[in-house]
Amino acid sequence: MNETLLTILEVIFMPVVAFVIGLFMVLMMRKLAARLQRRVGPPLMQPFYDVIKLYGKQTQISHGLIHDIGIIMAVGGYVAAESLLPVPGMDGIADKGGIVMLAYLTMIPSLGLALGVGQCANPNGSIGISRALTSMLAYDIPYIIVIFGVAYHFGSTNLIDIIDTQQAGGVATWGISEMPVLAIAGLFALHASLGKQPFEIYIAPAEIATGPMVEMGGKYLGGLFVMQSFQLYTASVLYVSLFLGGGENWITFLLKCFAVLAIPIIIAYLFPRYRTEDLVRLVWKWPVMLALIGVAFVMT
Amino acid sequence: MNSIVLNIALPLLVAFLLPLIHASSRIAARITGPLVLMVMMWSAVIVFKALEYPVSIALGGFLPPVGVSFHLDQLALLMATIIPLLMLLLWPYQYEQNLREQTVLLLLAAASSGLALSGDLFNIYVFYELISVASFGLAAANRQASSFAAAFRYLLISGLGTVLALTGIALIYTQTGTLNLAQLGLLSSRLDNPLGLSAFALILLGIGVKAEIFPLNGWVAEVYSTASTRTSALLAGLVSKLAVLAIVRILVVAYDDSEAGLMLLVFGVLGIIWGEFSAWRAQDLKRMFAYSSIGQLGMILLAFSIPGEAGMFAGIAMMLHHLVVKPALFLLTEKWNHGTDSLRGAARLSPLAAALFVLFALSLIGVPPLPGFWAKMLLMSGLVGMDTSVYYIALAVLMIATVVEAQYLIRIAVTLYSASDRSSELRLASNTGVMSLFAVVLLSALLTLTPLGSKLYHIAAESSNRALYIRTTFNVNPTPVLEHKNATQEASL
Amino acid sequence: MNFLDGLLILSLLSVIVTGFAQKLRSAGWLSSVLLGLQCLLLMGMAGLAYGSPAVSSSFSVSVLGQPLHWQFNALSWFFALITLASALASSVYAAGAWGEDYRLQGGNPGLLQFALNLNVFAMLLLLASGDLLSLFVGWELVSWASLLMMVLAGGAAGRFGLRYIVYATAGAMAVMTGLVMIFQLTGSFQFADFAAIAPSLSNAQVVTFTLLFVFGFGVKMGLLPFHLWQADAYAETPGPGAAFLGAISSRMGLFAMLILVIQLIGLGRLINIEVPYSFFSLRDVLMWVAAFTIIFPTFTAMRQNDARLLLAWHGIGQGGYMLMGLLMVNPLGSAGGLMHVFNYASYQAVLFLVVTAVIYRTRTADLNQLGGLVTRMPLSFLMMLICIIGLAGIPPMNGFVSKWLIYRSLIVEGMPLLFVASVVGTLGTILSVYKLIHNTFLGQLRLEHEQIREVPWSMMIPMLILSAVVFITGFLPGIVLDWVASAQAALGIPVLEHTLGGVESPSGNLDMIWICSVLFGGFAVGALVFYSGNKSRRVHQLDNYAGGHFLTADDRYHYSNNFYAGLMHHIGHWYRGTFQWLESSLGSAISLLSAATQMLFNSFHPALFLLLAATLSLLFFAG
Repeated sequence: MNETLLTILEVIFMPVVAFVIGLFMVLMMRKLAARLQRRVGPPLMQPFYDVIKLYGKQTQISHGLIHDIGIIMAVGGYVAAESLLPVPGMDGIADKGGIVMLAYLTMIPSLGLALGVGQCANPNGSIGISRALTSMLAYDIPYIIVIFGVAYHFGSTNLIDIIDTQQAGGVATWGISEMPVLAIAGLFALHASLGKQPFEIYIAPAEIATGPMVEMGGKYLGGLFVMQSFQLYTASVLYVSLFLGGGENWITFLLKCFAVLAIPIIIAYLFPRYRTEDLVRLVWKWPVMLALIGVAFVMT
Repeated sequence: MNSIVLNIALPLLVAFLLPLIHASSRIAARITGPLVLMVMMWSAVIVFKALEYPVSIALGGFLPPVGVSFHLDQLALLMATIIPLLMLLLWPYQYEQNLREQTVLLLLAAASSGLALSGDLFNIYVFYELISVASFGLAAANRQASSFAAAFRYLLISGLGTVLALTGIALIYTQTGTLNLAQLGLLSSRLDNPLGLSAFALILLGIGVKAEIFPLNGWVAEVYSTASTRTSALLAGLVSKLAVLAIVRILVVAYDDSEAGLMLLVFGVLGIIWGEFSAWRAQDLKRMFAYSSIGQLGMILLAFSIPGEAGMFAGIAMMLHHLVVKPALFLLTEKWNHGTDSLRGAARLSPLAAALFVLFALSLIGVPPLPGFWAKMLLMSGLVGMDTSVYYIALAVLMIATVVEAQYLIRIAVTLYSASDRSSELRLASNTGVMSLFAVVLLSALLTLTPLGSKLYHIAAESSNRALYIRTTFNVNPTPVLEHKNATQEASL
Repeated sequence: MNFLDGLLILSLLSVIVTGFAQKLRSAGWLSSVLLGLQCLLLMGMAGLAYGSPAVSSSFSVSVLGQPLHWQFNALSWFFALITLASALASSVYAAGAWGEDYRLQGGNPGLLQFALNLNVFAMLLLLASGDLLSLFVGWELVSWASLLMMVLAGGAAGRFGLRYIVYATAGAMAVMTGLVMIFQLTGSFQFADFAAIAPSLSNAQVVTFTLLFVFGFGVKMGLLPFHLWQADAYAETPGPGAAFLGAISSRMGLFAMLILVIQLIGLGRLINIEVPYSFFSLRDVLMWVAAFTIIFPTFTAMRQNDARLLLAWHGIGQGGYMLMGLLMVNPLGSAGGLMHVFNYASYQAVLFLVVTAVIYRTRTADLNQLGGLVTRMPLSFLMMLICIIGLAGIPPMNGFVSKWLIYRSLIVEGMPLLFVASVVGTLGTILSVYKLIHNTFLGQLRLEHEQIREVPWSMMIPMLILSAVVFITGFLPGIVLDWVASAQAALGIPVLEHTLGGVESPSGNLDMIWICSVLFGGFAVGALVFYSGNKSRRVHQLDNYAGGHFLTADDRYHYSNNFYAGLMHHIGHWYRGTFQWLESSLGSAISLLSAATQMLFNSFHPALFLLLAATLSLLFFAG
């Protein structure tokens, strides 16, 4: 009973932590972009101000109930998903799902977003979703091969076991040193999954008027903002757990997470955007090839 | 036992007397034919019931191998019962003025019974010729230019076939000095050489014209599509079976364990391919059934080419099934337009006929639990039981042919039941009663499958037993070398 | 007289009664009551799913010396449950307002109910088969009964039904050949006799039997490359009939394959047979067939513009998951495969019913002619949403659980490429079902659809109940896993250890109770956050961003055609229609051959053939 209570407490606390860290990740992203563009960038608390501003706006346009529910699902799905990602000192319900579950659970927010955008009856939004789903089809293939390789290597789909194994053996047993090829493929997939340049096909402001966001304003956009911060958090923590031994303590954990995220962000701001078919072609070629080679190494 | 001679003599006699009877009393002439057929049936049934073991009858007191001999076993008597029964069903009751046709039919009844019962090659030849004559008459009976032309072509090829058959019989006579089947069985070692086999080939081809063997069946589609439906039903249902039966008798008794069976197999397989594929493309319902009947006959030949009881069992089962289903299908086409497309929506106006068509088609394809399935199962089981590559190839052909068959038959069924864009005038008026009778026969066969199966198995066992055939006639055993290879293989199916 | 006798007799009676009562106005309700009674009798045998011994019928038939008998075990019960439940749902759906409408459209709802009962009877007979002969009889009845259902609509349906029956007959012939081969080997049609000699079969014999049975039964399942008939035939079937056929009919092939290939021959034999010049065993080859059956039809579904066709193509693809799972020795995989039969049936039936509901109101299933219906038919939208989540295999619906089991077993067994293939199938499904729900229910509402209402309750209730099943068995998968485990035991394969919430295993657990609770907790938090924001104002659908223009009611502002245009730029040219091409060239070859045979008959005098044949046979014997 005590254990259940503890788990419930963790489940409540983990999304809060994730939210805060996620907002700082957004901040880091903006800061890095600013530095690369020789700007100063926003102040420390800017992401918080943005969220509060968006939720508090006077003009809040709804296109129907599904529009609202879509945003709720987008945020709620991630809130739930965070309790599957172990952080130092808290395992949540990570032992009740595993990485395959996590991979599919993180589709729920996307599905919610897709439903909400669909209800808006704007072709720009629908095209955005069509592109987003296409890019999901692209990057999920290397991503899932990487997951297979890691799960096979550690003999478990349980993230807690995977992290424990790496921490027990030290840096030499980290995923990145045992499976370097898979780690590269994973980073590639992670970058593509963030939807940043050059994989930014579904936002594409100049083409489809920011796609999914075209009819979003106020708290709807705020929901998407929260969703993005959760997304950054989820992607980097998952990568850290799979390849970098998870977090021994909060300091190393946060360092690893931000470092992992910094790489794709820096790359992102140096590139323009691909066309949809080129994105699919690229992602199905290099990361998939790398991931398959990596799996071949793991399995022999 | 000797009363069975009545089955040949009586219809032959009445056939010649019929014009006279007609001249004296129309009503008498009207009932004479059916009456004769009933007597034939009754006499055959009496003998069938009394028969415990096969009997050989020597006519005129000359003992075999000299003289005319009849071989009475269950298979022969079964056919002798079926002949008048089928003719009764297909008798032209509503065309009582058509005296010629009735005469010819009685002639056909006599000749058919003779063919089923005879025990020597010469008689087989004579009765076969008589059947030919009768069937030419039938084919031309509806007196249209097209049917005359068809009948003439039929006559031509049939005549050629007769010449071949006669040559074959002559060859056999030069080799053995006898035409009695049982005697041939005793001397079968003399026939197991190129000359003897050539003789069989010639007989097979000669008689095969009637048995719709590939490639001698060019007449089939033409005759069946021009002659009256009853004629087609009789020719496809009855005459072809009798011709096959004659071939099988010769094969079993005189050419046991030789390459002759292989020849049957080859012709059977080719017949299946040609018949079914031609039927697939046929645009005319009668032609489709005609081609399909070629394919079915191919399957029957294929069954008989399997040596031993298994083959005989399968062959008889297929034969009887076809004998019930094909005439019924031909009867269906009587009032229906010939083009398959014009059948669209016909089920709405003649629901019973359409339902019967579906029933017969399903049985023909071999859908369980209809009788056709069990017959096909026996055939496939026999083919697999041979376990040689030739028979496996035959099996593959059979499988493909069944698929093709299912396609064209169900295509018709779907057309019948599809909604028509115009008000269809098609209605099946006349023969639903007779067709329903056929359906009743088919369904009662389904209900009595087990006793029927065991009865047929006994018939097959008896008629595939060469030694028994010879012993019946001469009371001697043949040389043991020629015992069946597969006699030990008990097919309880 | 036990429950099985009662069930089979009642089922036969239902066929007869609905056959005679076709013209009755209340035929639909009559049929529903009869099917309901059959469900009750089935429930009487529920003990089977919890370890009771198999039930044998007290009657048996003997044909040509071969006994035919019938029995029910946990596997039969599991399939029968799905059959009867989907039949009952379809029957109720068709009995009420839909049936009335169908009658007005010129259809005969009584005939539909009759076809439904006939199919159920045939399936129960197949599921109850106690020997190879009764299996084949049941198999053929199922094949032909579903033909009746398929051609009900007339028109193009007749053509597709015909195409189906060609495939089905070919399959039946293969099965029949296999059966007579077994008969020649053992002298009987009993399962036990075949199982007894199975270990002593030579490898060549095992390959022969496996290929014959996988082809024969796989045709019905729509295994590649014999899948072409299925989508068109199911799509043209009247709505509730399509729901029933789509849910369970094809799975009969899986059932028969399970009995013959997995239970009687055994996977162990298949694994030990190596395909020459490759690393593959026979089992691997079959698994790849399953994998391609997942991928190709799923991506074909994505391109469909008719909702019914889209669903029917997915039906083919989902069959691949079941076979793939069942070909794994691992209890996780086989449990996943079996469970997927149940899960798939539950959501596929609802999806077809929802699409039928849309057709009922709008008279079209064309995905380019719909849109925005969520405001008019919100409950139908909800049903479809629940079920596409199930179909796509996303938590928290039941489809995820069975797929998770299959993924897990692929990881455990170390099959990366098959794992990728199955995930690719899932991703394709997600894309495709989003297109379905977007083009039907989301986006712009058409002017002509502004007045339509939600469908009547007689249609809604079956959908509601089945969607509840989709959700509840996702939340508590243990309910179905109990039955699945008994079915595994009946098949004689390793049994999955499971809990009410999923699976406990040292290499990774699944507890759907926790996951679902947390997920809905998450949604609650999401809602809390959302509604804590400033209150929003509802605007009209035309009050939209349009690059500075103002939209009017005449503007079609909806993106539906060629929905994944970008993706198709890349993969569009991979759709070569190879299978279509193969099929049509086979058809042309047959056509050519038959033209040749006919020509031979028509163009020469038959006497010529006679002489030719005589010469050839003389040459044959003399030479």
